[in-house]
Amino acid sequence: MSSSTAEVASGTRPPGGHRLGRGLLLVVMCLVAVVMLYPFWFMIRTSLQTQEQFQSGSRGFSVSSWSKLFHDLPATQQMLNSAIICTCAILIILALSATAGFAFAKLQYRASTFVLLGIVAAMLVPMQSIIIPEYVNLSRLHLITSYAGAVLVYAALGIPFATFLMTTYYRGLPDELVEAGVVDGLSYVQVFARLALPLSVPALVTVTVLQFIQIWDDLLIGLLFVQNPDQRPITVGLAALSAGRVTDIPVLMAGSLLSAIPAILVFLFFQRHLVSGLTLGISK
Amino acid sequence: MASSAQASSPLMRQRRRAGALFTLPATVFVLLLLGVPIVQAFYYSFTKWDGITAIWVGPQTYVTELHNPIFWRVLQNNVLLLLAVPVAIGIPLAIAFLLNQRVWGWQVFRSVYFLPTAISWVVIGMVSLRFFAQQGMLNQLLSDVGLGFIQTDLLSTERGALLAVALTFIWSMVGTNTIIFLTGMATLDPSLHEAAHVDGASNWQIFVHVTLPQLRRFIQFALVITVIYAFTALFSLIFVMTGGGPGYGTTTLEFFVYQTGFAQGAFGTGALLGVILFAIMAVIGIIQIRLLRSVD
Repeated sequence: MSSSTAEVASGTRPPGGHRLGRGLLLVVMCLVAVVMLYPFWFMIRTSLQTQEQFQSGSRGFSVSSWSKLFHDLPATQQMLNSAIICTCAILIILALSATAGFAFAKLQYRASTFVLLGIVAAMLVPMQSIIIPEYVNLSRLHLITSYAGAVLVYAALGIPFATFLMTTYYRGLPDELVEAGVVDGLSYVQVFARLALPLSVPALVTVTVLQFIQIWDDLLIGLLFVQNPDQRPITVGLAALSAGRVTDIPVLMAGSLLSAIPAILVFLFFQRHLVSGLTLGISK
Repeated sequence: MASSAQASSPLMRQRRRAGALFTLPATVFVLLLLGVPIVQAFYYSFTKWDGITAIWVGPQTYVTELHNPIFWRVLQNNVLLLLAVPVAIGIPLAIAFLLNQRVWGWQVFRSVYFLPTAISWVVIGMVSLRFFAQQGMLNQLLSDVGLGFIQTDLLSTERGALLAVALTFIWSMVGTNTIIFLTGMATLDPSLHEAAHVDGASNWQIFVHVTLPQLRRFIQFALVITVIYAFTALFSLIFVMTGGGPGYGTTTLEFFVYQTGFAQGAFGTGALLGVILFAIMAVIGIIQIRLLRSVD
């Protein structure tokens, strides 16, 4: 929504303008682009060298770091682990935030505003403030040896904002939607599943995209709540590799690039959703 | 709508029950996994706790921690990191202003600047580590432009390492804050801008006296986000770049929680530090709610 409004205000420029100024502007913007893209270039360039080539600063070119990444390291497995954790956590977030958001917007009960406030307030709790009790609780329940612990924690961390977003979205739908459904003999579950849910696909996509980036990129939860090395997400694998005594930097960069690819793809296809999720708090 | 009629109608009662049931799973989830642990953290902050047995100590734990010089050293790092916040606001503001001039290809530039927000701090930290290393790109760059006599080794000193973390942090915030400001600039009233132009104001004058005041809300929002990130989102970056060192040079409060709890096994003290972090964030959060009235 915000990027479409961005087009509207473009008429504020004086026509023509100074050629020189415009050229200079373009140069500055290219320079900024170089600064912002540098890490990507560094990762690509370094990953296409061997450790010896990298250290000697030669211009050599090799794909051996990539083959090392896939053959000597559990990179594929770790990518899969990240994908599993992300998918499970996001499914829980979607299910719980959509149902809750719908009810907070359309099926209000006496304490619903208060409950919503409580859930939204949970957004303010920093992960680090609860991480120690959380860790002890989940380890007592034997949940940190598998994916389950990390999935639960990610889901819990994602639900408050997702619920806020879904509630805001459902509030925008007309109340008659529910009335009409009920008059037609639908149950509330049916009204939600058949009428409201299909209409809220854009909001669900926004939640998915935001949560994907957040969970895929995270380190702390994966580090603490996935104790089984075979189930480690890729970020934890990279951090462990980086902390090793002898670090093969080109392999590390290949791994970094690999780990970044899904997030970059999501970014390229769903940029608009990221922007609208980010600016939700202010653009109202 | 007459609320008395609502209350008596069985349909309404049914609707409210459905509403309560719909919100139950999310509420239970948040309560068990976020609500309970924060209460526990508060309780355990008064104890000596190794994760298995907790011995009650009382408020003395806070007194002890407040006399710990390392705690103040860590807090100092947090305050120093806050110095990066104005830069992390100012640069994106300038970039958004340039983008808003809509030169050829500005939308592509916008995407390019926003792209790093998709990347994990783990990955950013790894690249940044090589950038600032003694054999890294920064020194390479300096010698390439004939400044080879300035050989930096930021990561080897306490303040230098913190500077390196701060610079990486500023870089990472460019995308997010630029987008916030661009969104803000799209809401500007063009007639004010034109009126100022007609009155003969320079571009700079228009920016300072017309654009900035209209962007106030967006600047506040970016400020809050940036401060929250500075306090609670740098764990991965610090973990990968410096591990909190050298010494306690880059240990911020959030990282100190991790170190104290999981590296030293002092769960009680770790919980206490978490509570202090929560208190700091709650103050910031109250300011945020006031600014954004996000719950209405």
